[in-house]
Order: sequence, then C-alpha cells, then structure tokens
Amino acid sequence: MSETPTPVSIEPARKSFFANASFVWIIPILALAIALGVAWQSYTDRGPLIEIEFENGAGIAKRETELRFRDVAVGVVEDVKFASNLSGVVALVRIDKDIAPFVDVGASFWVVQPELSAQGVSGLDTVLTGVYIEGTWDGDIGPAQSKFKGLKDTPLYRYGKEGLEITLRTTAGGNLTDNSPITFRGIEVGRVGKAHISQQGSFAVAEAIIYHPHSRLISDRTRFWDTSGFTFSVGPGGAEIDFSSFATLVSGGLTFETFVSSGGRVSDGKSFEVFADEESARDSVFNASEAEPLQMRVVFDESISGLAVDAPVELSGFPIGRVTGVSGVIDADAFGDERVRLNALIDIQPARLGLTDEVTPEAALQFLSRRIEEGLRARLASASLLAGGLKIELVDTENVSSYVVQSGEGIIPIIPSTSNDISDVTATVAGVVSRINNLPIEELLNSAIQFLNSADALISNEDLRETPKVVRALLGDVRDIVGSDDVQNIPAKLNGALGRFETLLAQLEEEKFTTQLVAAVNAAAAAANGVNASVEGVPALVTQLQAVAAKAESLPLDALTEQLTSLTTSADAILGTDAAKKLPEDLGSALNEINATLRELREGGAVTNINATLDSTRKAADAVAISTQDLPALVERVQQVLNQANQTIAGYNKGEVLSRDAQSALRDISKAAEAMTSLARMLERNPGSLLRGR
Amino acid sequence: MVGMEVAGQNSNIVSARDLGVVACTRCTQVWPAGTQTCGRCGSTIVARDRLSLQRVWALWLVGLMCYVPANMYPMLQTRTLLSVQEDTIVGGAVELIHHGAVGIALIILIASVVIPIGKFMAIAFLAISVKRPSSVSNHHRQVLYEVVEYIGRWSMIDIFVVAIMSSLVQLNTLAAVNPGRASLFFALSVIFTMLSAQAFDSRMIWDVRARQEGTTTDE
Repeated sequence: MSETPTPVSIEPARKSFFANASFVWIIPILALAIALGVAWQSYTDRGPLIEIEFENGAGIAKRETELRFRDVAVGVVEDVKFASNLSGVVALVRIDKDIAPFVDVGASFWVVQPELSAQGVSGLDTVLTGVYIEGTWDGDIGPAQSKFKGLKDTPLYRYGKEGLEITLRTTAGGNLTDNSPITFRGIEVGRVGKAHISQQGSFAVAEAIIYHPHSRLISDRTRFWDTSGFTFSVGPGGAEIDFSSFATLVSGGLTFETFVSSGGRVSDGKSFEVFADEESARDSVFNASEAEPLQMRVVFDESISGLAVDAPVELSGFPIGRVTGVSGVIDADAFGDERVRLNALIDIQPARLGLTDEVTPEAALQFLSRRIEEGLRARLASASLLAGGLKIELVDTENVSSYVVQSGEGIIPIIPSTSNDISDVTATVAGVVSRINNLPIEELLNSAIQFLNSADALISNEDLRETPKVVRALLGDVRDIVGSDDVQNIPAKLNGALGRFETLLAQLEEEKFTTQLVAAVNAAAAAANGVNASVEGVPALVTQLQAVAAKAESLPLDALTEQLTSLTTSADAILGTDAAKKLPEDLGSALNEINATLRELREGGAVTNINATLDSTRKAADAVAISTQDLPALVERVQQVLNQANQTIAGYNKGEVLSRDAQSALRDISKAAEAMTSLARMLERNPGSLLRGR
Repeated sequence: MVGMEVAGQNSNIVSARDLGVVACTRCTQVWPAGTQTCGRCGSTIVARDRLSLQRVWALWLVGLMCYVPANMYPMLQTRTLLSVQEDTIVGGAVELIHHGAVGIALIILIASVVIPIGKFMAIAFLAISVKRPSSVSNHHRQVLYEVVEYIGRWSMIDIFVVAIMSSLVQLNTLAAVNPGRASLFFALSVIFTMLSAQAFDSRMIWDVRARQEGTTTDE
C-alpha cells in the first residue's frame, strides 16, 4: 500500500576544501603569521655583530654584559670566546641597529670595572651589576669595521671629554705619575694618561689631555710641574710646607702655569716637559726665553748689610730679576761727598716684565725708563721677616724729582733709589743681634783664660818655689844695707870728722870761743846720748838674731810661704823707706858737712865765719842726733823684721840656703851691730873724742 | 551484524546514532535523529561534529606554537639588589634541583613540562585514533580523553604561581619578581590545548569501532 520510496542514495555534492574547513584554522594561521612577523621584525631589527678583543675576560658574561655608550646600553655580549691563538678573549657584541653605523673605525672599547683610587671611586655600579663594556665613537659615520681591539684602560680622549691632546715628558731625573689629574687652581682640567718609559730610559712619556675649554690656558710658554707629595723647606721665605691637594698628595698630579703672556696657541701633539717643582718650571721659562738680561745698577745712599748676590729684584711683588753683584762705591764727583754707598748690580729678565711685543733688553730698558720717569724707584726691603735678608723692590713713588735714565754704549743704566723699607722687627732684631755681637766676649774669655792660667801657674807652685829666692834676695838686701859702705864708713867718717873737729877745736881754743863750744859740745853729748840710747837695744837685737838664726837652722823651709811673701814685701817696704835709705846718707852728709865746715874753717881761717861754723856744727850735731834718734827706729824695724822672720822661719825645718843667707845676713847685722857697739863704746868712754876728733 | 562480533567488553555498547537518536551536547536531552535544534535548550544538535577534528588540530597547533616560546623565553624575572635573574621553566626547575628543592622542581616539571607535553601527545593520539585504527581500546581512549580534559586546567598552576609571586614580591629596588614573556605564551598554550581538548568530539571515539569492525573482523 503505502509505498515508501526506495531510499535514494544521496551523494552529497562534493564540497570544496574551504567549505569543509573550519574557520578555526584562522587562529593558527594568524598565530603563525604573527610569529613570523615578529621573527622577521626582530631579525631585521637585529644589529650587526662586532668582535672586540680584550686581553682577558674581566668579568664579561655572555648575554649579560652590556655595551654602553654614554652610559646607555646599546648592545649586549652574545658570546665570549678565545682568540684564534689564545692570545686574548673575543667578545661578540650584538649592537643596536640604529647605533651600528656609528661604530666605525674610530670606535674604541674598554671594560669598566670598579676602581678605587685617591681621586675617588669610579665604576661603583659595576660592583653590583657586573662589568660592562664602554664604547666611544664620534657622531660621524665612517668606514665600517667589525673587529676591534679593546683598550686596557679607560682612554683619555673620548666622546664628551674632548680636549687638547698633548705629550708630557719628564725632565732628566724627574718623575711622572700616570693616571693622575692635571689641576689648575685646584680644579681638575685634564688628565695624564698611561705613562711609559722612553726607549733610552732617560725619561718618562705620557699622553695627557686638557679638556675643553680649559685648553685655551695652554700656550707654548706653559710649563708643567709635579705637585705630588709635599715639600718642606726652610729658607729666606721662612718654613714652608707645601702640597696642593690630598689627592695629589697621595697619587700625584700635575699643574701648570703660563708665566709669561706671550706665547702661541698649541695644537694636538705638542710636547711639554714636566718639571720637578714650580721654581724650576718658572726658571725654565726664562732660561728658555733666551733673552739677554738687562743689566742695571742701583745705588743706595746708605750701605746696609743684608743684600746678597742672588737676592730677588721685584716689581710689584713679582720677581723680575736678581742681584748679580754688591759693592761699596765712593764717588765724590757723582754724589757730592765721600760716603760709602751701596752699589747693586742687577740683572733684569726682559721676559718677566710681560712685554708683549719683543722680549729684548732694549725693550725692557725702554719700558723701565718710561716707568722710572713716572716715578718708579728702587728701594731695599726685607726679604723675609724671619730669616732676614734684603731684596730690591721697584716701587712707584710720588713727588719725586724726575729722573731720566741715561743709557748708551758702555753705560750701565742706573735705577734711582728711594728710602728703604726695612721692617722694624728686622731692625730691632738686628739691633739686638748687633748688641750681642758687640759684647766683649773675646776679652772676657781672654781674661778668663788668663785668670785660669794664673791660677794654674800659682797652683803649680812656680812662685812658691821662687819664694826662698825672694827671701834670699831680701836678706841680701838687708846685708847690703847693713854692710853698705855708708853704714860701715860711719865710724871712719866720724873719726875724720872728730879729727878735723879736734884741729878746729885746737884753733878755737886759741881763740877761746868757749861758750859756743859748750853748746856745740852739749849738742854733741846729746847726740852721743842718742847714740848710746839707741845702742842699748843692740845686744838684745843680737841675741834675737842669734835665736832667729838658731831657729832658722833647726827648722824646715818649705811652709808658710804666704807669710814669707808678706814678710818679704814688708821688709822690702821697710828697707825701701826713705828713712832707712837716707839714714846712712844723712849721717854721712852730716859728717861731710862737718868735714867741709871744718875744712873751710881750717883752710879759710876766717874767724868771722866761726859763729856760722859753730851753728853749722851744732846743726850737724843736731843732724847726727836726729840721725841717731832715727837709728833706734831702724833697729826697731830691723828687730820687727827679724821677729817676723823668726816667726816665719819657726815653721822651717830645712833650707840651708836660707839659713846660710840668714846666717850671713845675721853675721853682717852682727858686724854692723858690733861696729855700732864699738862706736858707742868709744863715744861712751871718751865723749870728748867726738869733740877732739880722737 | 550489530553487537554480534564486538570484541571484548565493549560488545554490548550501542551508540546513540545506531539507535537513531541524537543527544543534545549541552542539556543532554535526547532527540530523534535528524533533529536540528534542541527543543529544550535551543542549541544546535548534530549527531557528529564534522569539523571537530579540524578545530582540534587547529587549536592544538596554536597551543604547540605557543609552547615553544613558552619554554625559550624566561618564565620569571627575579630582580634583586645585586642581580637580575631570568629563568626559563626548565632552567628554573634545574636550578631548584641544584638548590636541593627536588620536590618543588618535580612539581614544576610535572605541571609545566610533563603534563602539557602529555596533553599534546594525548590529544594528537586521540585525534589520530579517530581516523586510524588503534590498538588501544575505545574505553581506554575515552578514559584518556576525560583525564586530559580534567587535568588540562591544572597546567595553569604555573601561571598561578607566577601571578602570585609577581604580585607579592614587589619591594621596589630590593627585590622584585616579574612575569617573563614565557608566562604569556605558556598561558596561551594551556588555553589553546584546553580548547583543543574540548573541541574534540569524544563521540567519534566510538564511531571508530564500527569502521574498525567493518574493515577488520578481529583484533
């Protein structure tokens, strides 16, 4: 009935691939496209690979170590490998594409590592992040290069630190610290690079850079010197300790100065010498200037010591020369009197005057002449308060008489002088010093030496040994006195006088001038009494002498020399007294007078003169009396002397010489005493003999 | 013919298509075969998704493509005061082993390497086995599919760790953890493999049997 249609095999129409495909396929296709796109982009963005060869790895790590330019990462190390012959390490650095063209032949690379130096710490960040490679190149695109040689050290000249590149060379014996700063007025304006020793080994050479714009400070007259370390000096300028900065103290450093204004600009590659210190650097300028010094003279009115050869000559405090000679000059014609003036010869370096045009002595003279006409004068000034010394200052003065410098062939031009400016302190100190100088130290010393010599001589007993001689001489003197003819002749003369007196009396008897005779006789008797009285002490004296002699014989001789000395002097004094010396003379002269009177009387026979004669006789007798009155004093003194001698000799045990002398002296004294005694006895027995002359 | 020569335990399994019905894949309401739209939930009903395999392969491919950079690029960027460390997934695991954390390393390796790769292989195997006969029984393959679908989401544990670390460890200069580029690719890879697994119409596993039986009488 119902018919189901026979199933028809339905063959679906063949659908196309895309009809069957799911839209989901878009996703992988898209992903692939994106991936490919990214890959392509990253490939095209990828910069070139460069090779940098270093001496060692120095912490370079692949895929970590960056290449930086001005502290911005512009690449990264992709690989680190050894150079072909293991001579180094090659870092393969992928650099950014946009920077790649600039990395040309002029590029240089170095590894930045942390560095701790006296100037400070550098590369501190690399402590944390590891080292990085720093590169420098200029802003111009040059010939491309892909293999570079890395630098061992940070180069001096790099982008952003441009400057004047110079070469520094040490002077003979000088030294140079590499990697040290070049400072100017304390500011770092440049840097010394790596130094190396020249082939001959005689000096060190280093590259250096003076950064712009400080490079304009450099001219071909610029001098560099070493400021490293410190110097301590004591000189005319006082004690000086000098170092420029702590950094240079530790690590060394250079500084420079352009001492003279004239000088041309320098270009890269100019070579400079490095001097040991500022002074030699300064000197070298003038040595190098090769200008003849200008010789001039200064005559100072007063001659003041302290100006020495080589003392500086300063103009406005700036040394422009030095003193080459100092002399005194006397020129009455030129100066009007004959005072000694100080004549200083000075050499002035024309280069130091800062002349801009030509540096010649003539120009310097012109310049100075002009200044002198305007009032420039020379004066002496203290070079240093402490150490003294003078220098010559050229100062501008006002209200001075105009002066025209005379110059010409063979004439040394003179710079007129003005009043000196020597500080009071110096003068005071100089005064004190001169006073100390004037102290008679030499004399004092001489006196002291003499004193000591005397003491030495005294102690060495020279005089003490002489003392016996002196005593002997003293006793000799005593003996001389006692044994002198005058004393010995006293009796004879008395005899003579009495004889003549007798003849006179005989004449007088005839003429019977008795009254006057009585007076005369009385006087004579008085005189005889005096003699008698004086002679009374003689025996005691003799006994004393004997005692002294005895003691002297028994006692030693070598002690109490001072007493002997004083004894000697006192004995000398006694014997030296006029009284003692005159005593015999008085006696003699009195008798002589009597003699002469009597002779006159006898010969002249002038009776009229008898009165006068008798007066004279009486006077003579008086004189005899006076003399005999003096005799006891003499005896007494002799006695004192002998007492003293006795006391002195009491300490003596030996001394035959002295005792012998003493004995002889005593013998003489005894003789004298005996003579006195006999005289006295004769007079005693026969006082009339004095009158009669028998 | 039907059910008579079924090998093994699956002999009594009858597919819905064989019974002339079709089930809604969303609300599981069974409709007679040929029903175009589910009368309950309104979703399109197809007995077999004919484009399923294409989707599987397309998404699988994208997942695989994402997996390559996920392993090449660093997963985690650890920035400390002194250094920046970037670790790939495997590199990080190896480092953990060096530090002695073998357990954590194993977890990471299993979650980030073994499971994703196993997933790729499983999905590929399932997709191939639908077209070509396999020695693995349908039942095992169904289990495999369910395991893959279940376990796929756990691969995101790696991304989860990275996300948590990145948000927690942010101490400015002292230390910071940032997700690496690989994390994005890894997440994409996981997502695409999950989509790929979901795109697979597991009903096709059972279709193979009929064809199998049609071509080969016995195993």
